[in-house]
This record gives sequence, structure tokens and C-alpha cells, in this order.
Amino acid sequence: MRLLKLILPILISIILIVLDTRFSYLDNFKRFTLTLLSPIYFVVDLPNHVVDWVNDKGSENAKLVSENEYLEGKLTELKARLQTYNNLVLENQKISGLLDSSYAIPEHQIKLAHVKSISQSRLKKQIIIDKGFNDGVTLSQLIVGSDGVVGHVTQVTPLYSTVQLITDPTQHMPVKNSRNGIRGITKGLASNEKGMIVEYVPLESDVKLGDIFVTSGIGNSYPVGYLVGRVTRINNLLNDSFLSITLQPLQNMNKLELVLIVSEKND
Amino acid sequence: MTNQNPMLLLSKISIFALIIGAISLPLVIELSSPLWVLVCFVYWVIYTDGKWIYLSALILGLLMDVLQGGILGQNALSLVISSAFIFNVKKSFFVSNLTTQQVYIFLGSLIYLITFLLIHILVQGFDFSWLILISPFSSAIIWPVIRFLLAKLKH
Repeated sequence: MRLLKLILPILISIILIVLDTRFSYLDNFKRFTLTLLSPIYFVVDLPNHVVDWVNDKGSENAKLVSENEYLEGKLTELKARLQTYNNLVLENQKISGLLDSSYAIPEHQIKLAHVKSISQSRLKKQIIIDKGFNDGVTLSQLIVGSDGVVGHVTQVTPLYSTVQLITDPTQHMPVKNSRNGIRGITKGLASNEKGMIVEYVPLESDVKLGDIFVTSGIGNSYPVGYLVGRVTRINNLLNDSFLSITLQPLQNMNKLELVLIVSEKND
Repeated sequence: MTNQNPMLLLSKISIFALIIGAISLPLVIELSSPLWVLVCFVYWVIYTDGKWIYLSALILGLLMDVLQGGILGQNALSLVISSAFIFNVKKSFFVSNLTTQQVYIFLGSLIYLITFLLIHILVQGFDFSWLILISPFSSAIIWPVIRFLLAKLKH
């Protein structure tokens, strides 16, 4: 009887492992349980709320004014840059019209989210953000930071979402070289905190150190053109049909506070 | 032994362990941090008259799997197997001094980690940071503190 008490949970666990890795029958159960457990995120984040509240209350007026001035300056600078971008878009549309091209610059909707927690698992690199399906977040949406791609949404609850980072070993993202359009697929590295590799780039491809890789939009899984990483190492291994390229993500994952949830305009 | 309802104590311990486990830490510290849920669960197994140990381990492990976004059943299987080891040495554990208890915690954590990594390797391949191997040591080191804190919680 005692042995049965032990074997039964072991069998249940093994069945669940197989079901979860091979099929998606348990997704609804996971989503429901995670919704029930989501107050834990709130409790974990409570000290940050208190610190923010104390900081807000304790901030001097002069400091806030100076911060406001700085942010206004930044806003003006960004607006000026946006003018150049808008001009380029118009020019692109004119040229596309002249060439009778069907290409159009994709328009994306963005939502701002705060990072609540970073990586609570030993084998997964992920963050929790404070937007869930009540805010219109859906699975697989791209998450970007101020400097580049952060990852994509893997779990959604009413108030929170889990984002798997692009540096996670299970994460694959179609990318292209922004200089010449050479395509590959990124894969995170568990043994390297910051690195990832680009797979399936043929040996004779023109890739140089310092090249920037961006999302390619192949397969329509992610929007095109967001910065992913910079090439830090290229190895031409013997007996291998592909280059071994190491990327350094442009977004520093340890300094994330705010992220943007990107979706297509028609979502 | 305690007069408190074992299931109530288990609920308290589980919430405590899940919250501690969910706190964000720098990656290096997180990888080598103690196996919080296991260490707290061992306390419940040893110091209460709790029944349904393996079923409780299964449920707690599944909650961890969901919370961590991992493979459903990975933590559950690891927790069930390591709690079977701890349950077998329960009598010896109970009368041992602190250092011997730490050795038992180390062995229990090692069993947990081996099961956990084995499932990871089978499903996702041999790709993990070696720092994770420090966690059985840190679990053993943190045991006296956890024992003290949970004794307070128990009363």
C-alpha cells in the first residue's frame, strides 16, 4: 500500500510530463492555475511598490522639476528624429508608388508594460510583466525594450504575462542581417548569460563582426525590423555546413524596467 | 510534534516557499540559490504527522511547475522522489544533530536536482549552466535558518 502511494504520484508526474511536452491538452489547466497563483507576483512585488511610493513621497520638488526638464528635452529630441523618419516613410511610399510595388512599411500597435519580476526559474530565462489578457495581451506577442527585442509572451493571465527572453535556450527567432538581408534563426544559450547564436547561415555568407541582426518577420510570427543583437564572434568550423555566429543582445536584460508589447495594427 | 493542523501548516509553508522562490535575483545567485520549496517541504515531512506526503509533494510540485512556466510534472516528480528519500530517513533525521540533518538535506536536494536535470536533458537537451549544481550545497547551508523560521511559523 505504501509503495502504491509512492508509485501513483510518480506515474501521474510522468504522464503529465509526456502530455505537456508532446501535446497541448494541459494549456487551459496551466492558464487557470497560473491565474489562481498570480497574487504571488503581487506579494513578491510589494516591497518595490512600497519603495516607489516612499521615493515618490520623498522626492524633492526641485529634483522633480529638473527630471521633468530633462524628459521634455528628450521628448523634443525624439520628435525631431521622428520627423526624419516620417519623411523617409513618405519618400518610401512615393518610390513604392512609382515602382508599382506592393510593399508597405508595417504599422504596429504598442502597449507599455512594467517588468514585475525577472526569471523565477533555474532553467528558463523569463520575466513577468504587469499586463495580461485584460489589457489585450495575447500569446506570442513580441516584447521590445528601448534598445531591442526582449522576447515573446508565453503565458497570459488576466493581470500578468510571462515573457520568455530571446536568450532562453528554448527560444528561436527568425532574424536577418540588417546590412545585407542574410537570414538565420537565433537560439539562446543556457551556459552564457547574455549570448545567443545564429543558426543556419551558410558558410560563404557575408557576415562581419559588429553586424546588426533584426527580426526578419519570416513566418509572420514576429513583426519585422526590430533590433535583436550585434555579432561578437564568427567561427568557421570545419566539417560544418553553417557559420557559427554569436550575438550579443542589444537590449540589456538586467536593466529592464519598462517594455513595449508590439502587435500588428489589425490585431 | 505539533498540534497545528498539518494541512494548514503545509499551506502556510507552501505559500512561504513559493513566494521566496519567486523573488527576482541576479542570474548567478538564482542558479545557485537553495531549493526553497524542497527545503520547506522537508520540514513539513519531518516535523509533522502529515499524511498524504507524496500526494502533497505532487500538488506542490505542480504548482511550482505552473508558476515557473516549466514542464508540467518536472518539479512534481523531483519533489515526490526526494520526499520519498526524506520519508525513509525520517526517524534518523528527527533525532540527528544539525550537521547530520544538513547532510540529509544535501542528499535529498541532490536527488531532486538529478531528477530535475534528467527530465530537462531528456526533453530539451544537455544545455544548462553548471552553477545549478551548487544548489544542493546552498540548500544544506540554509537548512538551520529555514528550520528556525518554520518553527516560528508552526507555533
